[in-house]
Amino acid sequence: MVCIGIKDETISFLIGGEAGQGIMRSGSLLGKALMRGGLHIFGVNDYPSLIRGGHNFYILRASEREVYSQGDGVDLLIALNDESVELHINDLYPGGGVIYDEEGKLDPRELRDDVKPYPTPLTGIVKEIGGPRVVRNTVALGAALSLIGFNPETMRGVIRDTFRGRESVIEMNIKALDRGYEYAERNFEGLGCRVEASKRRDGRIMVTGNEAIALGAIGAGCRFYAAYPMTPATPILHYLAAHDEEAGMVVVQPESEIAAINMVIGAAYAGVRAMTATSGGGFCLMTEALGLAAMTETPIVVVINQRPGPSTGMATYTSQGDLLFTIHASQGEFPRVVVAPGDVDECFYLTMEAFNLAERFQIPVIILADKYLAESHRSTRPFDPSRVGIDRGDLLTEWSGDEEYRRYRLTESGISPRIIPGIEGATMLANTNEHDEYGFATTNPEMVKAMMDKRFRKLEALRREIEHLNPVRIYGSEEAEATIVGWGSTKGPALEALRMLEDEGIKARFIQVVYLEPFPDERVEGLLSGDEPKLLVEMNKTGQLGSLIKLHTGITLEHRLLRYDGRPVNPGQICDAIRGVMR
Amino acid sequence: MSVKPLSYYRERYIRFQPSPFCPGCGNGIILNCFVRAVDELGIPQKQILCVSGIGCSAWIPSPNFRGDTLHTTHGRAIAFATGAKVYNPDLYTVVFTGDGDGAGIGGNHLIHAARRNIDITVILVNNLSYAMTGGQIAPTTLHGLRTTTSPYGNPEHPFDLVKLVAAAGATYVARWTTYHVVELTRSIKEALQHRGFSFIEVLSQCPTQQRRLFGFRDPMRRLPSRILEMFAESTYIRNRPQRENYLYALPRGEPNEAFKAIEDALKGLEASARLVDHITYGRVVRVDSEDLEAVSERLRNLSAVERLVDALEGKIELGVFVREHRPEFTESLRTLIERAGGM
Ligand SMILES: Cc1ncc(C[n+]2csc(CCOP(=O)(O)OP(=O)(O)O)c2C)c(N)n1
Ligand code: SF4
Ligand SMILES: [Mg+2]
Repeated sequence: MVCIGIKDETISFLIGGEAGQGIMRSGSLLGKALMRGGLHIFGVNDYPSLIRGGHNFYILRASEREVYSQGDGVDLLIALNDESVELHINDLYPGGGVIYDEEGKLDPRELRDDVKPYPTPLTGIVKEIGGPRVVRNTVALGAALSLIGFNPETMRGVIRDTFRGRESVIEMNIKALDRGYEYAERNFEGLGCRVEASKRRDGRIMVTGNEAIALGAIGAGCRFYAAYPMTPATPILHYLAAHDEEAGMVVVQPESEIAAINMVIGAAYAGVRAMTATSGGGFCLMTEALGLAAMTETPIVVVINQRPGPSTGMATYTSQGDLLFTIHASQGEFPRVVVAPGDVDECFYLTMEAFNLAERFQIPVIILADKYLAESHRSTRPFDPSRVGIDRGDLLTEWSGDEEYRRYRLTESGISPRIIPGIEGATMLANTNEHDEYGFATTNPEMVKAMMDKRFRKLEALRREIEHLNPVRIYGSEEAEATIVGWGSTKGPALEALRMLEDEGIKARFIQVVYLEPFPDERVEGLLSGDEPKLLVEMNKTGQLGSLIKLHTGITLEHRLLRYDGRPVNPGQICDAIRGVMR
Repeated sequence: MSVKPLSYYRERYIRFQPSPFCPGCGNGIILNCFVRAVDELGIPQKQILCVSGIGCSAWIPSPNFRGDTLHTTHGRAIAFATGAKVYNPDLYTVVFTGDGDGAGIGGNHLIHAARRNIDITVILVNNLSYAMTGGQIAPTTLHGLRTTTSPYGNPEHPFDLVKLVAAAGATYVARWTTYHVVELTRSIKEALQHRGFSFIEVLSQCPTQQRRLFGFRDPMRRLPSRILEMFAESTYIRNRPQRENYLYALPRGEPNEAFKAIEDALKGLEASARLVDHITYGRVVRVDSEDLEAVSERLRNLSAVERLVDALEGKIELGVFVREHRPEFTESLRTLIERAGGM
């Protein structure tokens, strides 16, 4: 297996065009082919709107080593329209190449002379083979494979699998692929990058964060999913709706987020594992019910895929602007968990953990991701649900009847055994009014205090439990000369930055805060007590993790790389910032 | 309708070209009808406030309409418009909303605004799904249709929005489709002039999402006209004399084969058969004849025919359903506003 790009041991492609030209589909086809060829891949999409219109692009990066994010540039630009050349020509590394349609009006040589032009008759070939215009992208993929010297047979297999059952589509795409490949082989010199498929197949899968979360919910035995469509969380709904039978899950799309979360709480009350997902705006509507779940001690899991706000903001872009909101949302005070996965594996395993924590501690658990993580593709090893397992906590399915059942019994741990409604000999009174042990409303000051204290006693055990779940993860050198601090999806670019810094001889490390509530203050404080320069990296305006760290440890992170234009941080940006703070 | 050239409307009323919609989208037609209605009434643009929620339909006024607009959050346009209207009752306040926006997440605001009879006009674009977010079920999606969230068919039943809003107390209620541009324009004029809550539901084509919804396999460019023809076929206008000299034969099995069998069976009769799309029944055979008795006789027991359906059965009724007068909300509020110190 060989993979050598222009800049390093990774190779990056940017496929650009107008919405409706099949950009995402091409990106995922290419990703799957390279993955089957034995490479690790990472793919990220950029589109201004879900409906037609506007410029779309997809960046795919592949390597023999693990790839955590996009790089700072690309080796090959696949431009399905002229606009893509204009917009992205400067993303190419010197020596990179651009595949574009001969029929366009643009001459890329006029744009940059250190770039190899590959004019290809994309439209011409499609006309010749009598295909629809959208297969131009497959012609371009064929040409791209030839330029990097990658055997097209793997791609033929991917096409067969992707379009299984639609023979004419398969035939057309394979024809287009082959013609593009032949054309480039005959007319162009290679790009100077080399990618060869290896025979080794280690059963890697290519998934998005959204798919990993959906699979995590299935793995956790979630039986009820209700969600209102909201970008970028909608793909979870689509995935589960399409797989409801295999998943053993009832999937409902109600009239609003308010309905969704209340249905989820209802299902959890009835005794099954239940989840919903949304984005910031939808979560705003859910906040009242979050308190309902807390007060009734009903375990639920809520996924928030952040996008830039306030308000409608930018539906298809990314952000980390909802951290403090999520931690503080709803009326009053109650324990909750907020956990932020940083890659697709964490999306799966932390979702499974989320259900266990929710049920064991009878609290709401919030999984905080973002568009960049939720919609980007990554290759990984198949998930193994047995690594986490299912622990439903103190859930009674029968009642002996020796004494009267008290839903909110004042126990030492604060956890009162939960029962399923409809069980002989026990009544389950859940109440959003402050209540006594049986669930009857009360305003008695001693009882009110006792109940609040009971709910907060759970926090102690919860903290101990989270200690075991590796709430703060450290990557890179032990004796670091510089430390990057972040959470969520900035993990990918940060890990890439560590590699780049290492190549420059800079020893750095990355501290990822995974569990943000309850905040692992002692750990974080310990890790940040050294003298090396530290850089906070977040995708928001105000450095919200920085505020949390300050609140819980008193430590101020003065150096901050904050990006809030809706685009993910690039590894190079982090490296620049680190070099800056080390000066 | 007056016969001013399109360029007149564009220059005067439209801010951006081309529109942000997919080619062939019904939203462009609705914008057109709105602009013509405003022009024919001679309302100064400065006296119009367009409010919209979130969804494709919200983009009809914002950014396209050259005038004051507010693009609110999903479902909340009517509540916003209420506040704006109360403190500026002279504005013609028009809400553009989608079926998901107006009848799903914002359904509560819709019925309460109707109940208050506040003088605003709501134009609800019913494209039978959540178009902008990728074609999910809407509260208007017909039972059994496939969407991205009901891959095995919609398990729910749709609202009849006209009945809902009428029952809630609206004083002008109409329904049209993007096929009925003349009637729609006239209705928008009536609604703008109506003093009270006016509501127009417009059944609209969304080629992008309805392709899946109706299972149409045609290339995109042929879809808009096919859907518009379906709207024409599956609707009738109330209080208008209807031709009833036809019926539909619902095919058992493949429609094309059923069609052949039906044509054969009708040989020798004065009858013409053709395949049409019907919003309720899907691909069906329409048979026109002056002797429907004889047609039924021939087709009733044909194995290619599932069942015969009368001309108007399963069709959607269009027209103006409510036109009443009742005290209007801002009027009733006037005394309160004056007590609060006036405008
Ligand atoms: C609170 C909230 N939830 C969800 C969304 C996502 N969203 C945007 S548009 C839309 C549906 C629009 O459907 P409809 O109102 O029918 O308009 P169409 O696009 O079909 O015209 C949804 C769910 C949102 N913006 N805000
Ligand atoms: S998705 Fe449908 S409603 Fe939205 S712009 Fe496209 S055609 Fe119009
Ligand atoms: Mg709609």
